[in-house]
Amino acid sequence: MRILIVEDDLEAAEAMVRGLSDGGHACTQAADGEEGLNAARGGEFDVMIVDRMMPKMDGVTLIETIRREGDQTPVLFLSALGEINDRVAGLKAGGDDYLVKPYAFAELIARVEALSRRRETGSVQTLLRVGELEMDLIGRSVHRQGKEIDLQPREFQLLEFMMRHAGQSVTRTMLLEKVWEYHFDPQTNVIDVHISRLRSKIDKGFDRPMLQTVRGAGYRLDA
Amino acid sequence: MRLPRLFRTTPFRLTLLFLALFAAAASAFLAYIYVATAGEATRRTDQEITREMRSLAAAYDRAGMDALNQSLIERAASERPFLYLLMKPDGARISGSIAESPLDKFDGTPTWTSFSVTDADVQGRAIKHPARGLQERMGGGEILFVGADIGEDEAYVVKIVRALWGAGALIIVLGLLGGVLVSRNVSRSMAGLTDVVTAVRNGDLGARAHVRGARDEFDELAEGLNEMLDRLERSMAGHRHAGDAIAHDLRSPLTRLRARLEVAYLDVEAGKGNAEEALAQALDDTDGVLKTFGAVLAIARLQAAGQAPNPTNIDPAVLGADIAELYEPLCEDKGIDFKAELIPDLTIRGNQEFLAQALANILDNAVKYTPSGGAIMLRVRRRSSGEVEFSVTDTGPGVPEEDRERVVQRFVRLENSRNEPGAGLGLSLVGAVAEAHGGRLELAEGPGKVGEIGPGLRVALILPRAL
Repeated sequence: MRILIVEDDLEAAEAMVRGLSDGGHACTQAADGEEGLNAARGGEFDVMIVDRMMPKMDGVTLIETIRREGDQTPVLFLSALGEINDRVAGLKAGGDDYLVKPYAFAELIARVEALSRRRETGSVQTLLRVGELEMDLIGRSVHRQGKEIDLQPREFQLLEFMMRHAGQSVTRTMLLEKVWEYHFDPQTNVIDVHISRLRSKIDKGFDRPMLQTVRGAGYRLDA
Repeated sequence: MRLPRLFRTTPFRLTLLFLALFAAAASAFLAYIYVATAGEATRRTDQEITREMRSLAAAYDRAGMDALNQSLIERAASERPFLYLLMKPDGARISGSIAESPLDKFDGTPTWTSFSVTDADVQGRAIKHPARGLQERMGGGEILFVGADIGEDEAYVVKIVRALWGAGALIIVLGLLGGVLVSRNVSRSMAGLTDVVTAVRNGDLGARAHVRGARDEFDELAEGLNEMLDRLERSMAGHRHAGDAIAHDLRSPLTRLRARLEVAYLDVEAGKGNAEEALAQALDDTDGVLKTFGAVLAIARLQAAGQAPNPTNIDPAVLGADIAELYEPLCEDKGIDFKAELIPDLTIRGNQEFLAQALANILDNAVKYTPSGGAIMLRVRRRSSGEVEFSVTDTGPGVPEEDRERVVQRFVRLENSRNEPGAGLGLSLVGAVAEAHGGRLELAEGPGKVGEIGPGLRVALILPRAL
């Protein structure tokens, strides 16, 4: 993936570049909003990571500008401002996701990868398929190896999210945000319990587990 | 050029304005009185002269010069005689009570004039009287002058004018006095407020304006100022408290983190110990610090704002059901019997996110402290007061009564839970959320002892019902 990183904290940017490059991504770095705007105009990127508060041009203005110019590249905002209002302002400006600093690196990578996947699914899907697992979005049914799996509504949503991001790590925070729409971190392992329930339904009785735990990051659904 | 301070003060300007308005009103009033009295006297005299002239002219027209002469002689004997002068067409005197016409020139058209007649008073001194007169040419060419002594009228007018001047002076003095009083009043009221502002500027946030109880604009302003200062003081205290709390809550985990890193560093340097494990632990510690920091920040912001941001109308049963759905598997996993009793169709107004987080925090605590085999009940109901109550009852050890007050206060942890990261902040945040929504947090004893453990805890988040 080609990733544009617009971040004025050079040390943080370096760390991001190193981590993302290790994951096989090509990173371009811009140290302020104007530089970022030029880079965004000049190159084709799969994802942009944009800090909200930067010298010369802040992240929100930068994204508003490129969105006005028709650039639909997925954008992940990074910000020290974690209030709901800040988040809403960032998403309104055209951001696709919002990550509050400081973040765990696994969280950043998971979100960047989730964003890149988003762009590929342009048309409305009615059927999701990951390996042996099939999800009928119209009939609200799930089958593995042709065997129907009975899911609660929330389990269905959870699995849908995992299937849409199959092969990628998704973090607990992402699940809480995208499936439950809560933006706080519970002190207890509520998400783990939901996942283990889902796992027992889709993996129990089959020869191979699909829902994996990724140490230090979260979960991954493998084909 | 700047005016001296006195002339720039609002009271001075007010006085001036007051005076100007007063003087304008008084002038108009006095002018009206003058026209209505003195003016009226002159008009009446002129009317009388005209009537006399008409009557004499009529006598002349009817019966000629002799009749006119006769009339003049008769009238001269009346009580308040007019002044007459009958002249030949060339102006030579024929008869009359004055020696000559006061008019120097006469072109034949009826002409009014003001003049003076000389009279002798009782002591024989000559006194000049003001007089008015009308001169006309008769049909036969003779000239007739009819005048009237207006000395009495004039004296009357002079009296009126004098009275008016007196009244004017009185009005000005009263106006000035009124202006000064009003300005003094304003000035004094302002001085109190200015003193408060000065005191606050100099750092005394406790200064308050005196509310006199007059219920006027100044009282309103004073009350507004006091309320503003109250809020500011509370908010400042909140920030100060937040500072202390952040220091307290972050210093110990940071100290722990530093110690761990230091030990790991020394171990690795000495070639023993496992760097990987130390780093993993340090990461965990860091996450704990960040979590605490986030919670402290959220509480401080809520308390500083004093109200919930972006409030919407919320059905508490829906909110409760969502949270119940999130926590139910966790309880089941832990062998805790979880139940939710949610009364539908209530409405509260608040911030969805903060309320959800508050409920999550209460449930987090309940799950944490309730042992396997216990029970947790989430309830949404309407109190008889109309308030909406979320309550979570658990069968954990509970909180001793003497500690309950303290637990709700910010950043307080009970001794036995000191090692659980962030444990002290959970209920503090709930308390801050309750306060920001105009509600409160209440802790009470749970259902009693279950086996060895009890009596459990009942945490109630009570919110005002949306109007």
